[in-house]
Amino acid sequence: MKSMVIGGILLVVVLMLGTYVIAGDAFQTDDYINMLTMVGAFAIIAITVATALKYINQIKNDTAGGELADENWDGIGEYKNAIPSGWGIIFIGSIIWMFWYFFFGYPTNQFSQVGQYNEEVLGYNEKFKEQFANPNEDTLKAMGESVFLVQCAPCHGVDAMGINGKAQDLTKRISKEAVAHAITNGSKNFTSEYPAGMPAGLLSDPKAIDEVATYVAGGLKGTAPASFASCTACHGANGEGMPKVAPNLKAYSDELVATVLTNGKKGHIGVMPSFKGRLNETQEKALATYIRSIKGE
Amino acid sequence: MFHWLEQRPFFFAVALFLTVAFAGFVEIIPDFAKASQPTVGTKPYSVLELAGRQVYIKDSCNACHSQLVRPFKSETDRYGMYSLSGEYAYDRPFLWGSKRTGPDLMRVGNYRTTDWHENHMMAPSEVVPGSIMPAYPHQFTNEADIATAYANANTQKEVFGTPYDQADMPKLGSWDEANAQALDDAKAIAKDMKNQEVKDAVAGGKIPEVVALIAYLNSLK
Repeated sequence: MKSMVIGGILLVVVLMLGTYVIAGDAFQTDDYINMLTMVGAFAIIAITVATALKYINQIKNDTAGGELADENWDGIGEYKNAIPSGWGIIFIGSIIWMFWYFFFGYPTNQFSQVGQYNEEVLGYNEKFKEQFANPNEDTLKAMGESVFLVQCAPCHGVDAMGINGKAQDLTKRISKEAVAHAITNGSKNFTSEYPAGMPAGLLSDPKAIDEVATYVAGGLKGTAPASFASCTACHGANGEGMPKVAPNLKAYSDELVATVLTNGKKGHIGVMPSFKGRLNETQEKALATYIRSIKGE
Repeated sequence: MFHWLEQRPFFFAVALFLTVAFAGFVEIIPDFAKASQPTVGTKPYSVLELAGRQVYIKDSCNACHSQLVRPFKSETDRYGMYSLSGEYAYDRPFLWGSKRTGPDLMRVGNYRTTDWHENHMMAPSEVVPGSIMPAYPHQFTNEADIATAYANANTQKEVFGTPYDQADMPKLGSWDEANAQALDDAKAIAKDMKNQEVKDAVAGGKIPEVVALIAYLNSLK
């Protein structure tokens, strides 16, 4: 017993000395963290050695005692030991805590993926509003181009020319076929902006239709053919359209682009889906600005 | 009881499994049952759409295209509203996919149209420059398997209780009715298409795979 204590003290001293030789300069700085770390290291050495000695001593000298339980497993028995009271209190306490946590304390309203998404969108929209409160022409054009490349280019092509007739050629306002198609079949595409729509068969003479189509597709330059009079009642004498009645035939006005995006379109080429709710007002305006800017090659 | 179990490793393992499994059941089952209810407005696929879905699976579209919009602003800007689990209630099996080589198709019906798909399936790179998607011209000549699609729908109705033939839900009816209905649906699609062979085939009572596939893609909203 005595030799063990002496041995233990010797071991502690040797370990501490070793530590001091290796890392003793920690005491020579002003940094108290280093100092605390060293003190901690010494404490660990002392506690470890003392604990180890205690158990070694117990293994050497302890004798069995107490009452055996009934079962034994291949000759190995078990003493009837009362559980440590501290452990028992924590065990029962955690069962009670479990009921509280399960029924009341569980943080059901803490994190939500959708809540995080909503916050992200709100934050973005606010920032967007602030940044693009009064956008100038160049900003709109740049924004329009980026929207166009994501949302419109898959059908209209990156050059906006409609990929060889698979969609509307946006570098021109309107094609001859489209005008002829609208005159023959009417047009009821844009109900949100022009509720009355355009009746079918305003002109029936193929020659008159051809004349008007050539004139409108040519950008309404030169003298209007006589039969263009059928159009002016709604589209205006200069073809620039009237609010709530008919769209502009000369250029892609903001109003026209927003209307097509909202309603989609079914024309002589095919169907364009509605983009309602997918773009905000500024983005629609930006798209119109961009489309006007790419007129012609 | 516990002393008895302690001496019997097999039954002890069984008891342990039941205890742990019970904890799993109480945690998982209620939320799972709730989340797998169909979202309001979600409807089972029509027979033609199901035939298209089989084409989608057969040609392995799901290897490159996912059908799951995650709740991130960048995704909802591009694809639309994020997906809800109830929207897949009638997907058997679901086609979430695990990799996006191409874009997500969960709501492709909102922003692509029949004529676009027609052009795109024939020659993807002509529509989307730089696209690496292969062309699927065989879909324009192969005939869609409506009989299997009907069997599929009927099984879902009989075995899983998918609400066909109920108020506000798609009609399934007998095989003859369903076949006629599929052909009608196909005619509506073919009207918006330009390929003369496809139009002729549908007019002659045959349904090319591409028509069924387009019906399916248009239904993804």
